[in-house]
Amino acid sequence: MVTASRPATAAPELLAYVDDLRVDADRMDGYAQRLRGAAETLGNCAEAPEWGGASLERQATACVTAAIQLRAAAAALLVHAAE
Amino acid sequence: MAAHRRASGPPAKEMLRDCARDVVAVAEGIREVSARTSSVLFSPALTSSARRRPRTGLAARWALLRTLTNKQGLGGSAIVAPDGVGHLLGAAGEALGRESLAALVAVTSLRLRIAAVLLDHPEFGHDPGMRRLTDAVTADHGPEAVRALRALFKDRGAQRSLSALAPILAELLAIRGLLDEDPLSDETAWALAAGRELAAGPVSGLDAAHLSVPGRGDGAAQAVEPSAQEARSLATEGSFLGFLRNIDALTGDGRVLVQEVRGPDGVLRYVVQAPGTAAGRPRDDSPQDFAGAWRNLFLTDSPYTRSILLAIRAHGIPRGSDLALVGHGEGGIALLNLAQDDEFCRAYRVTHVVAVGARADDRTPADPRTWVAGITNRYDIVPALDGPGGPHSNRYRVDYTGPTREFPHCHLLRVYIEHLETVIPQARADVDRALTPYRGPVERSRVYRLRDRARPPEGYPFLAVPTTSLVTSAGPVDVPVRYYDSSAAHLCFPVDPDVARSLLPDVAWLVPTRLGRRALAVLSLYEHRCTTIGPYTELGLSVLVDDLWRPHAYDLAADLLRRADLRRTGRYVVSLAVGTEEARAVAEEVWAQPAVRGTADVDLQGRELRVHAPELGVSVEGRPGPGARCPEPDWVLYGRRGGSTVRTLVRTHGRPRLHARPRLRLRLDGAHGPLARYLQILELDAVRPGFVLTSPRFVARRSAGAVLPR
Repeated sequence: MVTASRPATAAPELLAYVDDLRVDADRMDGYAQRLRGAAETLGNCAEAPEWGGASLERQATACVTAAIQLRAAAAALLVHAAE
Repeated sequence: MAAHRRASGPPAKEMLRDCARDVVAVAEGIREVSARTSSVLFSPALTSSARRRPRTGLAARWALLRTLTNKQGLGGSAIVAPDGVGHLLGAAGEALGRESLAALVAVTSLRLRIAAVLLDHPEFGHDPGMRRLTDAVTADHGPEAVRALRALFKDRGAQRSLSALAPILAELLAIRGLLDEDPLSDETAWALAAGRELAAGPVSGLDAAHLSVPGRGDGAAQAVEPSAQEARSLATEGSFLGFLRNIDALTGDGRVLVQEVRGPDGVLRYVVQAPGTAAGRPRDDSPQDFAGAWRNLFLTDSPYTRSILLAIRAHGIPRGSDLALVGHGEGGIALLNLAQDDEFCRAYRVTHVVAVGARADDRTPADPRTWVAGITNRYDIVPALDGPGGPHSNRYRVDYTGPTREFPHCHLLRVYIEHLETVIPQARADVDRALTPYRGPVERSRVYRLRDRARPPEGYPFLAVPTTSLVTSAGPVDVPVRYYDSSAAHLCFPVDPDVARSLLPDVAWLVPTRLGRRALAVLSLYEHRCTTIGPYTELGLSVLVDDLWRPHAYDLAADLLRRADLRRTGRYVVSLAVGTEEARAVAEEVWAQPAVRGTADVDLQGRELRVHAPELGVSVEGRPGPGARCPEPDWVLYGRRGGSTVRTLVRTHGRPRLHARPRLRLRLDGAHGPLARYLQILELDAVRPGFVLTSPRFVARRSAGAVLPR
């Protein structure tokens, strides 16, 4: 998923950060999926607490938001690195 | 959603624990992402390039900052930086109560772990601490739960109740750490949440210089004489069960034992024996208190551990001597802390550590030759943090399924002793074999009382009073009996004086006090969470009575202005129902009040008062309504023994409130004993109380009964 054009003149250190941010954004998407999986597991169990699924769903949504913002930050950093 | 749930599949508690493990792994991942993003934001490369090209540099930094602080994303305090502006920003987020997403996910994982414990131990529902914790943990919304948990950890009274919940101490401590309510380092809290091994705790090693200066350390140890009965019960021959029985004799009042044993090879060796904590009893001034118990679990530098070290020094054990450390519960953990300490292990050769009812396999002794044994009942969840540790040649672990499931019963040392004799005799034999060098005649036993100088005794100064010991059928009891954490509601009913008189003993001088044309009956409901006779519930019916010798019309009014010890009127206790045998024995034998045993589910701390005592056929529910602060309602209680009246003084200290328009209703579901019968005679279930006195939290002391010649 880490794909983007890299200006040849950009500072290599900043470009490394851009890559890191994108990888972390993908990770956050993965975490969202794992939290949703856990929420589903809880949903399938009669004795699991009611609040569990809802809390995990909310936190999964936060992970997705964080992923979007990490990508936005990576894009902003790339623009800066290429300037 | 619940309607569509499957009831089949793996056991719910296992599923919850699996989920919790997965969720905490995600939390750790999120935390690492936050840390990496923070390091980009504050990296020197970005800082310097942003100075050179501020237009795009600022935009990039702003985007990073927004990622780290957006509460819909990584959260308010996701900025992780050791110092400088980043640290300040992270701290500001925490101060504003905006937890990072990572911390919130970790707290969810811990809440799932606690939910698994609740499934396994439904009896916790009766525990006041767990009741409050359950309310906090099961709040529907995450932020609500976090707020409730924060409030719970700030509430000192609630913490005392929580101390009885040793099974989930690790989870609670981790939550406190993650919510920054605890001085533990963030790393420790995260390690606890993730179930990682704590090799030596955040404070590694005991500061010998600190200990060598008298009065500077948190702990202190003083040699004391055991009672004659205790001295007789101490083992005279070294054996595993003998050491455990010694510990059982000393449990709960902050004492440890050091015994010198002449081994079969003629060498003098030392055995240090440390008990655990006792739930629902005050800790006096010993370091085995609530905070100590929590710290013990994770810090090598806990007051209990320090105090044990001082006891060892006070005993004068020569450097280089062989030492076996045997402990139960928190005592076992404190001893394991000692065995982890390099300096201690250089001073003494710790040959054996045996921990019963305490998890031993997450600790690595400083001396690799030390033989470590951990014996745990699977149902005793004090030791069961998150599964067994890895195999080790010098480790001996027995995790058995005992017949006793109910906590805290399954954590009691005497239950472990019984199981070692009957359920797991092989384990006893194995440990005895390992302890062969210590299996010889005991040449000297010395008991040390541990004191924590850093804190005043519990209940100080109100409960710091001289005491004497009285013999009862339930064992010796110190009077005055002291109540360290109680709640009460007194429902006051105007009643027919003739009916009230019929409930009193047939003597001329016990006459109900008249308020106009009515007498006053008081139904008192108590939840005693921490007392010197253990936690218990109490329901009592009493009738206000006149001065026994010279009754005057205005005694009651005058008494309201008098100190309790000068009062002439009082309440005659018609009937009591108490939750424990010890409380019943004290009520009957010390205060001469007619008492029966009967359990009750009592909750007097919320806006709604709830008491359910199905065994007794009594329940009370409703709101006391608006109330106003009033003076302390110290009481004089009367009872009867033979031809005498027994007068008991009750001194209280709290924040009582008087409610003039209570909306409380007493229900009697059939007469199930004397209390319900008397309530029925007075027909109290047909009326609402005239007024109610409540005290959600107070301390009290009840003196021994003074026998009056009347």
